[in-house]
Amino acid sequence: MQNLNNKTNKSGIGAATLVFIGIFVFTMIIALLNAPTMGGPRVMASVSTYLEEVRQTAIPFMIAVGLVAITIAFLAAREVRKVWSNRKKRSELFTGYAFISPYLLVTMTFTIGVILFALYISFTNYDIFTRPTWAGLKNYEDAFKGFTDSTKRAFLQSLYNVFWYSIIVVPLQTFLAILLAVLLNAPVKFKQFFRTIFYSPSVTSSVVITLIFVWFYLKGGYANYFLQSLLGLVGIDFTPINWLGDPRGLIQLIVEAFGGKIPSTQWYLRGPSIAWMAIMFQNIYTTIPTFMIMFLAALQDINPALYEAAKIDGASGTQLFRKVTLPLLRPIILLVVVLGTIGTLQVFDQVYLATKGGPLNTSLTPVFLIFQEALGTTGPIRMGYASALAFILAVIIFTFTFIQRRFLEKGTELY
Amino acid sequence: METLANRSSLPLRTLHRRKPAHYYIKFVLRYFLLIVIGFLMFSPFILAMLGTFKTDLEITAFPPKFLPEVWHWENWSRVWNTDIGQGGTFPRWMFNTAFLAITISVSQVVFCSMAAYAFARLKFAGQNAVFNFMLATMMIPGAVTLIPAYVLMTKLHLINSFWSLILPGLVSAGGIFTLTQFFRSIPKDLEEAAFLDGATHMQIFRIVILPLARPAILTVLILQFQGMWNAFLQPLLYLNSPDHYVLNVALSIFQQQYKSQWNLTLVGAMFNAIPIMILFFIFSRYYIEGVAYAGVKG
Repeated sequence: MQNLNNKTNKSGIGAATLVFIGIFVFTMIIALLNAPTMGGPRVMASVSTYLEEVRQTAIPFMIAVGLVAITIAFLAAREVRKVWSNRKKRSELFTGYAFISPYLLVTMTFTIGVILFALYISFTNYDIFTRPTWAGLKNYEDAFKGFTDSTKRAFLQSLYNVFWYSIIVVPLQTFLAILLAVLLNAPVKFKQFFRTIFYSPSVTSSVVITLIFVWFYLKGGYANYFLQSLLGLVGIDFTPINWLGDPRGLIQLIVEAFGGKIPSTQWYLRGPSIAWMAIMFQNIYTTIPTFMIMFLAALQDINPALYEAAKIDGASGTQLFRKVTLPLLRPIILLVVVLGTIGTLQVFDQVYLATKGGPLNTSLTPVFLIFQEALGTTGPIRMGYASALAFILAVIIFTFTFIQRRFLEKGTELY
Repeated sequence: METLANRSSLPLRTLHRRKPAHYYIKFVLRYFLLIVIGFLMFSPFILAMLGTFKTDLEITAFPPKFLPEVWHWENWSRVWNTDIGQGGTFPRWMFNTAFLAITISVSQVVFCSMAAYAFARLKFAGQNAVFNFMLATMMIPGAVTLIPAYVLMTKLHLINSFWSLILPGLVSAGGIFTLTQFFRSIPKDLEEAAFLDGATHMQIFRIVILPLARPAILTVLILQFQGMWNAFLQPLLYLNSPDHYVLNVALSIFQQQYKSQWNLTLVGAMFNAIPIMILFFIFSRYYIEGVAYAGVKG
C-alpha cells in the first residue's frame, strides 16, 4: 500500500512538472507572437532576426508575461498533483482542459494577445515597417484635437455620425421588429412561408444588400422614381435627389426651410446628412428581420394563460399588449437594444461600399476611420493612432451598454 | 350554481355572435399587411434579379422599367467568364468562399462542441473562471482586435493565405456558449449509464451527446457558414490578391471596375446571394431557431 502511494505520488509529480513546462512553453510562444516588436516583413524574414528584434524591444514584456505564465503553470501543476491519485477527478481535469484547449489557444493568441499588443502600440507611433517609437498619450490626445483644430476633426465627426446613427436606427429597428413579430405571431396560415420571406434580407451579406441599395439610390434609380411617382399622386413636384452624394444635414434642411443658414464651421449642428440617412434606412431594412425573429421566439414563450387571465379581467387588445406583452418582452428588448447599439457604433461595410465616408465626411464612422488609418489609404500608415481610436471606441461601447443595462433592467425583476 | 354559469356564458355568447364581421376585417387586414410587408422585404431581390437581365443602358435609364425589354441571359455567362487578371474569376471566388465557409463551420462545430461538453458535463478546477472569462471576451468589440490581428497575420506571413481566416475562426466563444446551453438541457441519465459501463468521456461525447445534440450542432454549423460566407472586413484586410478574394471582397472590386454597368454587378451580387438563399430556404427552421435561441437564452 505504502509502495503504491509512493508510486502514484511520484508519477503525480512527474505529470505536474510536465504540465508546468507545457503551459509555460505554450504561453511564451503565444507571448512571442504578440510581443510588441516592429513585426514588419523585414524582421520576420527569418526566425533569428525576429528573436533578435524581440530581445531588443520586448524583454520587459516577455518577463512580465513570463511571470504570469509561471503563476498559471504553477497553479495548474499543483492542481494536477492534487487530483492525480483520484482516477475520476484526474480524467475529468485532463479531458476538460484537452477539450477546451483549442479555444484557449485561439483566444489567447487572437484575442487577448493581440489586445495587449494593440494597447502597447496605441501609445506609440507605429507604421508596420519601422520600429515603434514611444509617444505617450499623444495618440489619445490627437483623437480629440478636433475640438480646436478643424483639420483634425475626422474622429469627432465620425463619433458624431454614429451617435446620430444609433439614436435613429436603434429605436426604429426595435420598434418595427416588435411590430412585425406581433403580426407574425398572430394565428395565420403559411406562417413559415411569411417568416422565411420576412427574414430574407438578413440572410444575404450586407455587401449584396448595400450594392443593391446603392443602385436604388442612383439619381435615376428606383428610390427617386418611387418617391416621384408617390408624391406625383398627391400633386407634389419632386426633384430627384443624389442620395449618396448629398451632404445636407437634416437639421440644416429644416433650418433652411425657414430661411436660416448653418455655416460649415458649425457642422455639428447640421444633423445627419441625406447620404447618411439613406444608409440608415438600408441598415434598418437589413437588421429588422434578425431582431424580429428574436422577438417572435420570445412571444411564443409567453404563457397563453396570462392573456386568458387578463381577458377575463376585461383587458382590451391594446391593454393586453401594453400591460402583458411589453413587460414580458423587456429582457429581449434590452438585448436587442444593446446588440443594436453595439452594431450601429461599428458600422463599416455599408460605408466602405456606398460612400467611403463622404460626402464631406458626413458618413465617416470610427471603424472606417480606423481602417483608413491602419492601411494608410488617405495618408501615412498610423497603426498606433488607429489602435488608440479603437480603444476609445471600445470604451464608448462599454459605457453605452452599461448605461442601457442599468436603464432598461430597472423593473424587469418585477415580472 | 346554475345562475352563475348562465351569467358567465351570456357575454361569451354575445361575443361569439359578434365575431364574424370583426373576424373577417381583421383576417383580411392581417393578410393584406403580411403580403405587403413580405413584398417590401423581398422586392430588392426581385428588382435586382430583373436588373441582371437588362442592357447597360436600360439599367440606369430613368424612369426605370420594371421588366427588361429583351431578356439578356448572356449577362450571366458574361460575368461568370469575366477574368480581372491574376486568376480572379467568379468560379474561383465562389470556390474560395465556399471552401472557407465549410472549413470554418466544420471546425467550429468540432471544437465548440468539445469545449461545450467540457463546460456542461465535466467538473474541473478553473472551469467557472474560464467560462466567465469566455463570456467577458464576447463583449470585446471587433474593432479593437482588427489592427493588431492584422499585424500578427503579417508577422506570421499569413496575409494572402486562407489560414489567416481559418486560424482565428477555428472556434468561437459564441458557438461554445450556444452549445453549452443546449448540452445542459440534455438529461444526464443516458451518459451515467454509459459511464457505469466504463465508457470514456470521448466515447460518451461521440456516442451519446453528439447524436442527441444534432439540431443544435446543425444550427451552429449553418450560422457559422453564413457568418463566413457574409464576412467582409477581415477578408478585405487579409486576402488581397485576386485569386484569393472571397465573393464579398471581389464584388466590391468588381463594382469599382464596372462602375456604370450595374447589370453586371448585380449578376455578381446574385452569385453571392443565391447559394446562401437556397441554403436558408432548405434549413430555415434551424436557422431561425439559432437566431431565436441566441436571443432568448443569450
